[in-house]
Parts: sequence; C-alpha cells; structure tokens
Amino acid sequence: MEIDGDTNEDNSRRIQVRFVTKLKAPYKVPTTAIAIPSDLSRLGLSSIVNKLLQAVVSEWKTEPFDFLINGELVRMSLEQFLLAKGISAEKILEIEYIRAVAPRKEEEPSPHDDWVSAVDGSSPRFILTGCCDGLGRVWKEAGLCTHILEGHSDAISSVSIINSEALGSVTVATASKDRTLRLWKFDAEDSNDHPAMIRAFKILRGHNASVHSVAAKTSGDMVCSGSWDCTINLWRTNDSDTDGDVVSIKKRKVNSKAEQSQSEGEAVSMLVGHTQCVSSVVWPQHETIYSASWDHSVRQWDVETGKDLSNIFCGKVLNCIDVGGEGSALIAAGGSDPILRIWDPRKPGTSAPVFQFSSHSSWISACKWHDRSSFHLLSSSYDGKVMLWDLRTAWPLSVLDTHKDKVLCADWWKGDSVVSGGVDAQLRICSDISIP
Amino acid sequence: MRRTSPRSTTPSLKTMNHQESQRPEKVNPLEMRDLGFIESGNNDGLDDNHDQDELADSSQSRQAVDESDSSEDEVAPRNTIGDVPLEWYKDEKHIGYDIAGKKIKKKERQDKLDSFLASADDSKNWRKIYDEYNDEEVELTKEETKLIRRLLKGKAPHAEFDPYAPYVDWFKWDDAKHPLSNAPEPKRRFIPSKWESKKVVEYVRAIRKGLIKFDKPKEEPRLYLLWGDDSSSADRTKHLAYIPPPKPKLPGHEESYNPSLEYLPTQEEINTYQLMYEEDRPKFIPKRFTSFRSIPAYENAIKDSFERCLDLYLCPRVRKKRINIDPESLKPKLPSRKDLRPYPVTCYLEYRGHEGAVLSISVEPSGQWIASGSKDGTVRIWEVETGRCLRVWELGEAVQHVAWNPLLELPILAVSVGSDVLILNTGFGNEEQQRKAKELLQIGTPTSSDDSDDISSVLSWLQDEKHDCIRLRHFRTVSSIEWHRKGDYLSTVMPAGESRAILIHQLSKKLTQRLPFKHHGLPVSSVFHPTRSIFFVATKKNVRVYDLLRQKLIKKLETQLREVSSIAVHPAGDNVIVGSKEGKLCWFDMDLSSKPYKTLKCHPKDITNVAFHRSYPLFASCSDDCTAYVFHGMVYADLNQNPLIVPLEILRGHTSSDGRGVIDCKFHPRQPWLFTAGADSSIKLYCH
Repeated sequence: MEIDGDTNEDNSRRIQVRFVTKLKAPYKVPTTAIAIPSDLSRLGLSSIVNKLLQAVVSEWKTEPFDFLINGELVRMSLEQFLLAKGISAEKILEIEYIRAVAPRKEEEPSPHDDWVSAVDGSSPRFILTGCCDGLGRVWKEAGLCTHILEGHSDAISSVSIINSEALGSVTVATASKDRTLRLWKFDAEDSNDHPAMIRAFKILRGHNASVHSVAAKTSGDMVCSGSWDCTINLWRTNDSDTDGDVVSIKKRKVNSKAEQSQSEGEAVSMLVGHTQCVSSVVWPQHETIYSASWDHSVRQWDVETGKDLSNIFCGKVLNCIDVGGEGSALIAAGGSDPILRIWDPRKPGTSAPVFQFSSHSSWISACKWHDRSSFHLLSSSYDGKVMLWDLRTAWPLSVLDTHKDKVLCADWWKGDSVVSGGVDAQLRICSDISIP
Repeated sequence: MRRTSPRSTTPSLKTMNHQESQRPEKVNPLEMRDLGFIESGNNDGLDDNHDQDELADSSQSRQAVDESDSSEDEVAPRNTIGDVPLEWYKDEKHIGYDIAGKKIKKKERQDKLDSFLASADDSKNWRKIYDEYNDEEVELTKEETKLIRRLLKGKAPHAEFDPYAPYVDWFKWDDAKHPLSNAPEPKRRFIPSKWESKKVVEYVRAIRKGLIKFDKPKEEPRLYLLWGDDSSSADRTKHLAYIPPPKPKLPGHEESYNPSLEYLPTQEEINTYQLMYEEDRPKFIPKRFTSFRSIPAYENAIKDSFERCLDLYLCPRVRKKRINIDPESLKPKLPSRKDLRPYPVTCYLEYRGHEGAVLSISVEPSGQWIASGSKDGTVRIWEVETGRCLRVWELGEAVQHVAWNPLLELPILAVSVGSDVLILNTGFGNEEQQRKAKELLQIGTPTSSDDSDDISSVLSWLQDEKHDCIRLRHFRTVSSIEWHRKGDYLSTVMPAGESRAILIHQLSKKLTQRLPFKHHGLPVSSVFHPTRSIFFVATKKNVRVYDLLRQKLIKKLETQLREVSSIAVHPAGDNVIVGSKEGKLCWFDMDLSSKPYKTLKCHPKDITNVAFHRSYPLFASCSDDCTAYVFHGMVYADLNQNPLIVPLEILRGHTSSDGRGVIDCKFHPRQPWLFTAGADSSIKLYCH
C-alpha cells in the first residue's frame, strides 16, 4: 500500500500555480499560489476553481471555466501543455481563468415552413430569418414571430438588417434566388397575436441570376449583393426622397385600396472581377467590401473605384466570409471542405491562412465573428453542427449539435446567443453564452 | 662539497694521463674510484657506505669510458690481460701477464688495518692510488692533483688554456676587389639546350603514340586462392564457361563402419523400409562392424559408380541466367498524385429524394443545378450548393436519360422516357430566357408531312400539355440523348432501331433526320464532337467517326472490347474514352492510331459510364462495382507528346442494389467535382 501511494505521488507531480482572472467580484479567487497535480486537465482545474470559489461564497453554483496559460487555452493535461509549449514548471504558473464559452440554455425552436436559409441577428431586438419558401420572418424571441416579409417568388438566400437604430421603423434587405433583392420596412416594436404581413417597399432588379448574398453598409444607405452571375451590385436603400414623397402619398392611397405598389431600384454600380458565383459578401468598413466566390478567391474591393485591392486564393470553393477579429481585419471563410480558414490580409504576401480549424466533417455554410470579442467566432456546417471557436486553441470551444440535418446559416445574437437555421426548418437559439 | 660523481672525473683523468705522457702506466678508472674514496675519506672520513654506492656507479660507467679512449701514444700497461673483469683473476696468484707472457705475481696485500695505519702515518698517503689492474701503488704528482681539482671545478684541465680566446680571422677580406676568375660568361649559358628540346619532343611523341603510359600497371593480387571455387573462376574467363560437375554427396557419420547407435535403424524401421516404394527406400542402411577386418566388400560399388557416371552425363550443361530486376522498377514512372490536385476525393453532399435507382444525371452548364432521372419515373432538379430538390416531374415511366441543353441561356432539359423524348422547360433563367424557351417549345404548325414520310412513320413531334413540353415519340426505346454544342440539334439512339437507330432532331425547325450512313452493329451511344461537325457513334464492338458536313466515315476505332457501354470525347476533340461491360476503359488518341492508346483494366464489373471534365485534365469512369475511378488525363498541345494518364482516386460510398452500383457520373462544369448517381437512389457529390 505504501509503495502504491509512493508511485502515485510520483506520477502526479505537483505544479505551483496561481489563478488570476479579469472577471468581476463573485468570480474572484484568492491569488495565493497553490500546488496542484500536473495531470489535471480543464475539468480538474475547473473543479479546483469552483472549490476555491465555494470557500469564498458558501452557496456557489458550480460553473465551468476555461483556462489560459500565456494566452493559450488549455486543452490537454497541464503537464502535456507545459511540455508542448516549453513552459517551465519550476516557477509559479499564472493561470488565467475565464468563464467557459458554452451555451447554458437552449431555447424552443422556432418552426418554419421550409428550410431556413438565412439568418441575421445583428439587431438585439429581433432576429430576421429567410426561408426557402420565399418568406422572410422576424422573430422577437424564440417562437414568437412578429412579421412575415412576403413577396419573393423563390427561396430567400440571404438577409441583412440595414439599420435598426431608429426606434420606429427598421429597414432590412433580403436576397433571393428569384434574382431580386427586396427592401422592407417595419416597426420592430409591433407585437400582435398574428404575425403581420409586410410587403417590400423597394425591389432591386439587375442581377441576371440568383442572388446569393446581401450585405448592408454600416451607415445603412447602401447595400451590396453577390450573385451567381459573378457580379457584385451596389444599391441605394433610400426610397429616392425627392420624388419619393409625392409617390409615397400616392402609394398610401393605393395602399388603402389594398393594392400595393413598389418602387424599383437599379444598381448604382457593379463590381466585376470574379469569374464564378459570388457566394458571400460583407461590407464591414465604409470603403471596403470583401467577397468570397466559387472561383476560390477572396477579394477586397474599394467601393469608390470599384477595383479589387487584394485577392486571396484559397483553392476551394468558398461559401461564406466574415471579417472581424483582431482589429476587425481578419478574414474568416469556409467553403466546400470542412476547414474554416482565417487569413490576415495585413501580413505581406499572405496566401496561407493564419488559422485553420478543421473539426467539421462537411462543407461550411456560415461563419461569423463575434462583434465584441476578437477571439471568438462561430461556424456552421452541413454536418449539422454549429461550432464555437476561439483563436487561442485549435479545438472548438463547444459544438452545438441541435440540428438534425444540414445547418445553412448561423449568427450571433445579442452577443451571448447563437441563432442557427437549417434544413430541419427550425430556427434554433442557444443562449447564455458568456463571452468576455 | 667539492666532490662530484666519479663518472665525470674519470674521463678527465684519462685526458690528464694522455697529456702527461711521461707517466709510464695508465691510470685505471678503478684507481680513480680509489682516489674518490680517499678524497672523501679525507674530507669527511666517515661516509663509508655512501662511497660504496659511488663505487658501483663508477664501475658501471667504466666500459663507456674505455671505449672513448684514444691513446695511441700512451705507454702500454704492464699487465696485458686486456679489458677483462678483474674478478677472473681474483683467486689466482697472478694478476695477469706481462708483455713477454710471464705471469705477474700478485703483491702481498697489506692488511687493511696496516694500510690504514700507514696512511695515517704517511702525510703523502692521500696522493697515493692503488692501481688494481697493474697491482701497484701510484703516487700522484702535484700537477696531477691540481689538474684533478680544476676538472672537479668544471674548468679546462690546463691552467694556460683560455677557452674564450679572441677569434682570429685568417681570411683577408679587405683586398679582394676582383672575382677569382675574370672570364666572361659562356654563351651556352644563355642558349636553350638543343638536346633537351630534342628529348622533350621525343617524349611528347612517345606519349602521343602511347608508348609512354602514365597510369600505373594494374597490380596483380600477390595471393590468390589456389584451390578456390571453380565456378567463380569460370565467370572470369571469356571463353566457353566451364560448368563444374555436380559434386557427389560426401559420406557422413552413418556411412562410418562403426556409427553411433543413434544412426542405426531398428529392426522395425528396416521392416518399414521394405514396405516403401523402391525409389523412396533409403539407399544405404547403416551397419555396425566391430573392426575393419569384419567389413565385407561393398556390394553396391559398381552400381554407385554407374549412377555417378549417369549423374555426370545427365547433368544439365546450360548455365541458367536469372535476371534480378526489382519489379517496382518495371512500373512506369507516374507523377505523384499530390501534384495533380485538384481532383474529387471526398463525398460531402448527397442528393436524396429519388425512390428508385438514379439512371442518369446531367449538370446544368453553369453548374448551379443538376437534373436526374430515375427508375421511379421522376425527373428532379437539385440545387448543387445545398442539395435542395427544386423541381420534380412525374413522368410515370423509368427515365433513361436526361440532358441539359448546353446553352446557358436556354434552360431546357431533354429527357428520354421509354420510347419518348421529352423536352422540358425547367423554368429557370430570367424572363427573357423563359420567353425564348417557351417560344421554342411550342409546335406552331403541325410537322410538315411532305418532309419525308420515311421519318414521320417512325417519329412524331407532339405537344405535351401536361408538362408543357415537346414530346418526340419514337418507335423504339430511346437509350441515350446527346445535345449538339450549339443547343439546337440533339441526337437520340434507339439500340433496337436498326437502320433508323440514330436520329438527329433540330429543335428550332422541329425537324428530324436520320443519320445518312449505313449502320453496322448495335448502336450504344452517340456523341457530337465538341468543336467540329464530327459525330461519334459507338456500337457494341467499335466506334465510328463520321464527318457530318462531308457525309462520310472518317475513322473506325477498333476497341477490341467485348461490349462497349459508354463513350466520352475529350473537350479538345482528339481523344476519346470508351468504357466496356467487361470493366475495361480504352483511351483512343485519334491522331495516333485507331487502336487504343491505353487500355485500363480497372473495374471488376461493367463500366456504366465515362466522363471527361470540361476544363480540368480529369476523367472518370463509374461501374456496377459501386465505385467510380478518377483519372488524370492530360492531353498536350504538343503532338509529339502522348497523353499522360494517371489513376488518381477510387470513390466509394454507393451501395449495390439489384446488382447495379454506380450508374452515371458527371463532372461539375467549373469545379473539379464529380457527381455520381447510384442504384441506391442517391446522388453523391465528391469534392476536391
């Protein structure tokens, strides 16, 4: 028995650690150094921190934590981690702990009539979804649909909230396979028992083939759209104020006759350069549009001149793109393989991605950066999973496996929830994700 | 202490002796030792032991001292025994012989005590040395003692000798103003030597002729195995190889006259030998004899030597040459698969919805949609990107073949159902394209019957109201449809149609004509050339290539296959692949020959379809063994370079159903992706 005890002691060498955190008061533990066995992994560390917290606050509810050593998340046993990173175990190790990024609550699914092909959660007040039956829907919360956007004759492929700051009316844009984009206005505060049917106030025609993606400028006066006809079109969103007023009065009258007329818009300019379908566009800054295409390239466009500034070649068909992260400059894109790639265009001569996340098992359908944290992003895939990623580790933070079939779209909502829609015709919301 | 070791004093004593030649006897080193003894005795009186040691030292060194002696003019010593150890005469009465040969008698030695007393009395005693060699006492003169002292101090023996005398330069340097000889330099010193140059030329010629060789002669190994192996020596010789006779088996322990007991068979074993066949029976049964005398004559002696002769006579006299070749090196050098990327590898998407085997698929020319026809009687259109089924047509009968119109702006689909070919409007495209498509699919006037009654009897253009399309009613089952690249003509193949098996329809004029050539064999499939007005007809045995403009047969490709099942033409038009029902794939280079350039035997079962990629150098074949093979097929613009064919990947994933596996495969027009349609009612997309 004694010998056994001795070997056990040998196997679990002890490391002096000190737990630090940037979290607020109830999460703070005393910053004294303690010795812990070196074979602990994240779970063990988490239970230690929970014990420590319990010593401070008597009725502490156990909470999962994640641990950072030198800015990297611990994803193996401490000993292995220190060996792999070449960190000395002699000194007192400072381990920063953060609340684990994982959904703690899963809300009721919001049923649709067909595949949910697009979702936008950029406004904290509501979720906008696009569906393959051609209807857009506005959800105030899980299961509560307030508006239905009706008018597209084919599946909606992408939706974008143009401005949601204005208290009353909200403007959104939808792109559809019927080669048009439509702009809609509604009052987000409306809440009826039955969802209100909304018609588009403006139809943007000009694409020759199905529109795959729409993105709004941050100021809200323009949108851009990428289409199967290899072009990116820029459109104005304002309903031409000069003559619009007169028309709008007429419209009202017409409206009263229950026969709505819509103004039609033409593209302001066209960005040509892609040789195949433009599958995704984002407009993160005033001047620049990023686009991903089936011709395997990511392009950065200057809106003023219409020239492409840079061209990152990927080798695979790209389906989604988002720009964010550190300095809002990292480009994340996924496509026809299970690898989520992240490029840093600021690095000279970048054709190789700076990060590659490859835990998915099928095509990646959507990727989104978290708007506050520069480390976190999500990706959804045809394998039915939504994964949350942290740039500081190669493993997914958490895998949301709620969908039964392909996930077609996903987005962050309110900063702490993930909304996703897929082939199972459900909009799923996983909430209460603590992201610092 | 002034005393130095006697070793250093002895030679100096000799020199002294040599110079003081008036002295009649040589001073022996042994005297010197005595001198030292005396001296030391004189100086400290008591140190006896120490001096004994010194004594030994000096006797050791004596030999060397005597050798270095050169004393020609020295007076010879009285004793003539020479340089022999004196111990030899220790027990004799005499010490040696004088020059006349008479014995020199030993003197009566004084008692030690007496001599000591005498020395104490005699004040000159310290100068006396006993010469053991000559057996006499010698008294050193004053000069001699001085000399010894000087030597002990390390100075020159003579006081008048100055070791540092000034150097006298005997040569006079000052007056020598002229050289020793004033003769002018001879001319020969300035002229290159004639003989030398002659010799050089001689050597150069000899080298050029090869008379002088610079490389060393090969060194013969000085030692060699005299009784070395004969076989290896036979290899070295250039003449007819000597083949050594087979060696007879050497006798072992059991052949001994008195073998160990374990070699002796028991009686039972000997009995079992009798039951064996004659050939299997051991030739020799060991026996034991107590002595040589009791060994009988060997009864098989003649038989054995006869058999040995037979062995020698019948042994094969031909050396077998074995070629040692690594079988790996016989494989052709193929580029690495990594360098040939991209090509389809993994299945990521699946298009599910059909309820029967999918018999045919076709990809829309832009690659946004694919159409599929199934045994369940439906035609479906799928969105490639998401796998969503967009449209379904219920046709009620198994759909044999579907084909998109190759024009981007004409989104129509040709479908063969039984003996009908339907031209469906897919409803895609913008309004303008839709309007055109609808216009095209209207049969305004009934087909002109005056065109050719021959055709109208076998085919009729009908308007199908239900699906809003054109129905081409054939008289036999249509197995394949192929569009012309301009999207106006399409050819249909009826394998059972005999002379009218292949028809070409013109959509814009709603006209049908039959191929103006004589048919040979059973047609399987037909293809239009991708750029020129050439038409390929694949029959069960071979492929015929017709020029449609000149209306004649250009070429006949001999497939040498049992039954052709499918054909595809390279987008450049000069290469054709043909798949067969025995699982062979033939690649024809039409510029090269009408025989297959390469035949790939890859599938264990029927090849159902073959396909070329439109832009990437890829081709694929799919088979009933539930796999699809992807190959790299590079065709070079340089006519001298043969096409490069590299097998890349085996795509699995489909399951077998009714003995059928993968029925159709088509490449995506823009991406290196492959669609496969399986009998398991699924369509799979393999991506790079």
